[in-house]
Formats: sequence, structure tokens, C-alpha cells
Amino acid sequence: MTVLFALITQALRRVRKFLLAAGVLLAGFQVVLILQANSIQASNSFAQMADLVPSFAREVLGPSFVAFLTFKGIVCLGYFHPVVMGALVSVCLTLATIPVMEIETGFIDLVLARPVARHWIVTRSILVALISTLYLLAMMAIGTWIGLNQFAAKDAGWPSAGLVGSLAINLGLLMLCWSAITMAIGCACRRRGSAGAIAGLLALTAYLTDYIGRAWKPAESVAWLSPFRYYTAFELVTGSALPLKSVYVLGGVATAAFALAYFLYSRRDISH
Amino acid sequence: MLSGPAAISIRGLTKCYGKLIAVDRLDLEISRGEVFGFLGLNGAGKTTTIRILLDLLRPTSGSAAVFGHDCQSDSLKARSAVGYLPGEMGIYSDSTGQEMLSFWERIGGRPVSSEHRHNLIERFELSDRDLSRKLREYSTGMKRKLGLIQAFQADPLLLILDEPTESLDPLMQESFYELLADSRNRGRTVFMSSHVLPEVERVCDRIAVLGKGKVVLLSSVEDARKLASRRVRVTFQQETPVPAHLPQGCEMIDASPRTWILRVTGQLGSLLSFLAALPVADLAIEEARLEDVLVKYYRDGAQ
Repeated sequence: MTVLFALITQALRRVRKFLLAAGVLLAGFQVVLILQANSIQASNSFAQMADLVPSFAREVLGPSFVAFLTFKGIVCLGYFHPVVMGALVSVCLTLATIPVMEIETGFIDLVLARPVARHWIVTRSILVALISTLYLLAMMAIGTWIGLNQFAAKDAGWPSAGLVGSLAINLGLLMLCWSAITMAIGCACRRRGSAGAIAGLLALTAYLTDYIGRAWKPAESVAWLSPFRYYTAFELVTGSALPLKSVYVLGGVATAAFALAYFLYSRRDISH
Repeated sequence: MLSGPAAISIRGLTKCYGKLIAVDRLDLEISRGEVFGFLGLNGAGKTTTIRILLDLLRPTSGSAAVFGHDCQSDSLKARSAVGYLPGEMGIYSDSTGQEMLSFWERIGGRPVSSEHRHNLIERFELSDRDLSRKLREYSTGMKRKLGLIQAFQADPLLLILDEPTESLDPLMQESFYELLADSRNRGRTVFMSSHVLPEVERVCDRIAVLGKGKVVLLSSVEDARKLASRRVRVTFQQETPVPAHLPQGCEMIDASPRTWILRVTGQLGSLLSFLAALPVADLAIEEARLEDVLVKYYRDGAQ
């Protein structure tokens, strides 16, 4: 356990500035969205915004459209805005490719030349991904809490703590899922650049597949393959509970991909 | 030699990368307390063998063991006895020397005596100020010193050193040789690769020369030196004609009326008998150099 603790603290120490900056930016983004929602609320413009949206877009979005164009909807947008999703997936890709980067730089040679089992390296990376995910989600929640308490009117229709919690849990599972997929890819690659590029393209493809699948019926037949499909932010905003299916699918994919990462890392040659 | 299983035991070790055979049915046994030089040209398979010993690479066939512990199936025990210095140090430039030494100590599995570490730091002339600096500010030589300190700091039973004196200045090389001598005196085993042949000649008990993944020479340094030809310069009291035939193992390199320069392979007895009948004024014999033998084996191994 001393070894694992040393590995985790060393990895976290290396990424602390990056994580700190990402956390502050994400928290700041929540505050900015709340300021924006507050401004729209104050000018009573939600109804005017709804009128500007074409009817086909309303049909596609369904009841979530109504829920989205509210103070609560804009606040919750901070948990599924494409910029936020892109940033979080990028963080996952960066952290999950640490094992392959350590191989590429030769750093791992001096670690594995000591009595350190290979599975500790993957376990360390999983725990770093988990800690980072929890930290970033906590920073987002803190941003929301500060924004609401400091800048929002009490009667503005705040999202409930349960809704923010459900969004965070669902988003956290999605992040772990991408961390796991990236780690498995990284464990099969020789270069961090290759692993990051493959995982990044896969994430973008999956995101677009889900996006198109929501708007275009024929694409729905493949959209179920995208992990983003199981991030049900719109449904959560409309008041649905966090579907267990999403938890199982994202959790299952993450578990399977982490297991694959263990397998690949234990069998591979460590050569740079 | 000390008792117990061999420090390193390699049996039929083969490592292939696709069609390329990096290590080819290698057999090697290194006794405890030995300083062993592992030599060969670039790409001969030295680093591949070292990485298999550390379980960084998996062999295609064969096996390797450290103090009786298989390097694959029992690798944690094998590695717990090893201090390793890689040819290229993979270190993060935003860490300090002190942070890295502490990190390696925590994952090392063997306690590090602060006195021993302090001695190493002093020996390699790294100050506390140097150790508190970020590694990006280190010169190549300083990084090498840090690498040597981390390899030796837990006082491991077996040291695997890949090009240990590369980038070290002559004074630090001397410090390293002294450290190696200390380690040998305390019964530590050293397995080192090097391209610096005078260094190998100075510090190693035995050597293996690798060529295309195979051992082309395995010998003690003394025996290997005997394989070298010596240059003999003979000066005569008067002009002496060059004979048509020289004794076996002797070859004329240069001849003037009063001086011959010969290359003699093997023992000098036959040449001395031959010269006894001639008016010899002076005889100068150049000491055989290991380098001359190894260069020949390098060439043979590369072909």
C-alpha cells in the first residue's frame, strides 16, 4: 500500500497545476452560466427565446425543450454544455494516457525495475482518474453553489441538489467510461500521441453519433453504441430519475475497459 | 565466490521482434560478488537482455533468474535485489533531485540508510542545493550522477548498470570506480554494459561480448587479454637481414636494417629463442590491450 500511495501522490503532484486550472475554469463556467441565466430571468426573456426556436427543433428536443429554457435549465447546461463535455473528456484523455507516456519517456523503467507489480501502475492510474473526476465534479458543484448563493434570486427556480447530484453522477460515470477506454487504448500503444489521437477521435465520433442519433431517426440504430447516449442530461432536467440502465452501461463499459487495460499492461513489453 | 544460487542465470534466452532476433539462445551465469562486463556493438542485444532481467520485456523463449528467482514468474523477488541504472534516464524535469530520490526510496522495497545515501551524494559531489533544484536545470552529467545514486542508494545485492560512466567527467569516473570497488568488496554483484573498453579492463572480472544476440566471447579479463597480440620492438647492435621465416605466431609489421617491429600472438618463448642467435641490443614489449581483442570480436560478431 505504501508503494501505491507513493505512486498516486507522485502522479497527482505532477498533474496538480493542470487539475487546479481545469477545476477553477469549470467552476467559473458554472458561475458565468448562472449570471447569464439570472440576466435572462431578470429581463423576462425565456419566453422570447422559446419563440425564436424553429418548430422542428422543438419537436426534436421534445419536453426537454421547455425545461431547458428556464433558469434551472440554463444552470444545468453547465453539466452538459459541449465545451464542458469537451474539456472533461480531454482531462480524461490526458490522465488516462499517463501510463503510456511513462513508457514513452522511460520513466517507468526506473519504477518497474523495483519490486513494483505492473498492476499497481494501472490501479494507480484508475485511482488518479477517479480522484480527478470527483475533484472536477466537486469544483463544478461548488461553482454552481457559489453562483446560486451569490448571484441568483431566491425565487428564480433553482435546480434541486438532487438534480445537480444526478447530473454529476451521470457525468462522472461518463468520464470514468472515457478514462477506461483511453487507458485500454493507451496500454496497447507505444506512443501517447497515438493513444490520445485514437481515443480523441473515438470520443468525437461517439459524441457526433449520439448527437445525430437524437435528431435523425435512422442514426438511432447505431447511436446506442455511443457512451454519450447514456448521459441523460435532458431527461434529468425534465424531472426523470437517473436511469439505472445508464449507470449499468457506463459502469459496465468502464469496468470492462479497465479490466482490458490491466490485461494489456500486464502482458506488454515495456519498451520506448 | 559467495554461496547460494548464481546472481544471474540465463538459459536459452531468445527475444524476437517479428523476424528480427535481438537475443539468440543466450546462456550466461554470473556468480555472486562478480563484476561482469556485458559488451557489444549497438544493437547487439545487451539492453534487451537487461530489460528481460528486469521483466520490462518478455522473452520469446528461455528463462532468466536473479538469485534463483525467475525474472518473469517471480519477478518481484528478483527485482527486490536489484539496483538499476538505465542507459537513458526517464525523469520528469519539473521534479527536484531530492523528490526523485525520495520517490525511488519509497517504492524501492528496501530501506535506505541516510548515511549511505549521504556518502553517495558526497562521493558524486552533488550539494543539497543541487538536489533541491528542478531536474530541468541539471546537466547531463548531473542526471547521470543522480541515476547512479538512485541505483546504489538501497545498497542492492545486484547492480545492473547500462553505460554507467557515460557523460561523467574523469574525476567522477574515478569516484564511480572507487564505489564499484567498495561494492565488490562488500560482496555485491555488478552486471554492467559499457563501450569504454579501458574501463571494462580496469573494473571487470569477466566479460561477455555479444554479437547479433549471441555470445561471441565469454572469458575472464585476464584470459581475454592473453588473446591479444603484442607489439615487440627489437633493436640490433648491427644491421640484421630480415629472415624468410619467423616463428609461429610472429608477424613482421615493419623492418629497417637495425630495427624490427613484430606482432606476436600467444606466448613469446619461440620469438625469444629465435632472437637468441641474433645480435639483439634492446627489446621492447608493449603490454597486450583488451581493447585489441574486443575490437576483433566486435567485428566478428557484427559479420
